[in-house]
Amino acid sequence: MAALATGGPVRSEGVPTSFQRKGAAGGGGRLAVLPGTRPSLRRGQLLLSSGIPSLDSVLGGGLAIGTLLLIEEDAYGIYSNLLFKHFLAEGIVCGHNLFIASAKEEPADILKELPSPFLNTVSAMEEATAMKCKQDSQESMKIAWRYQNIPKLEVTQMTSSKCGHYFDLSKPLASELRQNIGWHGFFLPEETTLCHDISSCNMASGYTRLLHSIQKVIYQEGFGGSTPQKKQRNILRIGIQNLGSVLWDDDICCNENPQNIYSLTRFLYALRGLLRTSLSACIITIPSHLIQNKAIMERVTNLSDTIVGLESFMGSERETNPLYKDYHGLIHIRQIPWLNSLICNVSDTKDLAFRLKGKLFIIERLHLPPDLSDTVSRTSKQDLAESTKLLSSGCSAMAIGKKHLDF
Amino acid sequence: MLGKLAAGGAEGLLLIQDSVSCEGRTLLKSFAAASAQRGECVQVLSFDIPEEEFKAGFSAAAASQLLYHDAFRDPLGWTGQGCGLALEEFGTSELVARLTATTAGPSTVVLDSISWLLLRLPFPRVCQVLAQLPKRAKVAGLKISRIVALLHGDLHQTGQLEALHTLARVVVKVEPAPEPVPGGDGAARVAVTLHRKTGGKVMQKKEYFTVLPDFILKCLGELPEGGVSREENDQEVPVTVDPAANLTFNLRLSEAERQAKESVPLPYQFSEEKKSSLLQTPANLGKIYYEPDAADDVDEEDPDDDLDV
Repeated sequence: MAALATGGPVRSEGVPTSFQRKGAAGGGGRLAVLPGTRPSLRRGQLLLSSGIPSLDSVLGGGLAIGTLLLIEEDAYGIYSNLLFKHFLAEGIVCGHNLFIASAKEEPADILKELPSPFLNTVSAMEEATAMKCKQDSQESMKIAWRYQNIPKLEVTQMTSSKCGHYFDLSKPLASELRQNIGWHGFFLPEETTLCHDISSCNMASGYTRLLHSIQKVIYQEGFGGSTPQKKQRNILRIGIQNLGSVLWDDDICCNENPQNIYSLTRFLYALRGLLRTSLSACIITIPSHLIQNKAIMERVTNLSDTIVGLESFMGSERETNPLYKDYHGLIHIRQIPWLNSLICNVSDTKDLAFRLKGKLFIIERLHLPPDLSDTVSRTSKQDLAESTKLLSSGCSAMAIGKKHLDF
Repeated sequence: MLGKLAAGGAEGLLLIQDSVSCEGRTLLKSFAAASAQRGECVQVLSFDIPEEEFKAGFSAAAASQLLYHDAFRDPLGWTGQGCGLALEEFGTSELVARLTATTAGPSTVVLDSISWLLLRLPFPRVCQVLAQLPKRAKVAGLKISRIVALLHGDLHQTGQLEALHTLARVVVKVEPAPEPVPGGDGAARVAVTLHRKTGGKVMQKKEYFTVLPDFILKCLGELPEGGVSREENDQEVPVTVDPAANLTFNLRLSEAERQAKESVPLPYQFSEEKKSSLLQTPANLGKIYYEPDAADDVDEEDPDDDLDV
């Protein structure tokens, strides 16, 4: 019961009140005409989805336009790449323009591998889960019936608004969808062969060239905030893959005292300036576990808005830990920007895990599975309990919803 | 798994990482021999050892498939003859020109060893060449199906090794065997293999292997993974004995008995109406607001420890 009591005040943020912000809540404001965006109720900003609805809700509804989402890659870069692709695929579904930069894969290839959205849209998905909840609650409890009306703990972070889409990782995006959108690619090896003149003088010139390229797209295609536009405006989604790795001609990944220690941070600083003054949002994946000098990573943190760290269990000893057997990895929300307000959106739990459920990538709150066996005594559970010291106290409330656990 | 990889199970960059305590060159040569046996052209860029030493031990058929680029004799181009591969030539376009000049069929590029290059050239440059070589060669009309590179692990910092591992599709770490292996002739070694598959899966295996004459790879089975956890499982097995098996009294219910038992109303079971009236939260009645008291004696660790009988 203590868990429910403490959970109360945090949750009440989501309860609709009669007090509403003028204009923004009406939905008819001048900002809301852009496709694939929705106004934030509390901050007076335009939000767009990251492509994963559960991530959006963790981040407070979505990403604000003009901000930078930094993904710290997992050890093998598999799940960070999934987040990257979801972000771009969401852009295609919403009809946004894309800018894809990479040093490893060709942007055209990345575009081909984007996941396809589920045809039965968001509402259908949510209906299905709602139905399931209903079924569960209808089955009445016999002995512990007083617990029947206690609300179930939401495991999946559900969005209140219908903004993002769900994507099926097993199917590639239909080519008709791809052809209709405007996109620009930046493939570093190609760019370096095109113009040899700059590459010789400056070591990390890849960053400079990327910045020029983004700048050109923003100003020529009319994403700039200051330029008055007659025609329909659109959002530019920028995705930069594996920034700072050796393939970007940068030595921060292999050296503790790299030659060009400031080139990455300088790039991020300029990029953020560009983003802030334009209708764009950016996702960057960065191999933070490879960066030798921790000071660089701290500077990078200061220069980005939202930071999400991924830690996959693949190959680590956590893969076999009974606590984590349902999940594929942990997700750490390292930073959430506070824009237009004094506090940032704080989610009520920090223990989040992700898994690939079928073909769906979802983020859930990490909880212990209920222990249903009779033979387990309290002493043998000690080791499990120790490893879950960090977990919030939501577990006891969780067990109530499970069918077989009737006290 | 190692055998499958040698037989052409993986494309892209394969790293073989050895150390002073355990050499990996014979494994590299066995990969080269396996490629040659499949009829692929094997292009060898050799920096560490002279040609005769590298070719020693190959069968005649395999040796005929080897195309040797000598970078050992004159790596800095001092003699001015320009027959071998020089250090400055290690760039993408130069290498592509060099490799396409000799053959057009699908080929395997063998680098012996990459450590020599990493110590002399800027680290990012070597990585970029490794990443771009297959793509650029494809444009020029040569299919490089895999690059097999030998890496001496103890010559580089761990950070550099990790950065290299992220580029590679397969990393094989060669280690000395902890104990003599049955079936091996004493020369068995352990290979820790990490294979990144195209679908986004990562496989990790630890197995014994040995290299026979003519560089034929022979796998000797896998290492038992984590001996400690296995022992724990053994201990858990006898716990599942049914305690109700040999009893002198009856613990089981027949179906009729069960029904009779369930039909008895228990004191806390109410009728549906009473239940629903109790469950409904009254609208205007009082609520309890609990504010924690400073003097409260609440045990956070175990809120209901008094229930534990």
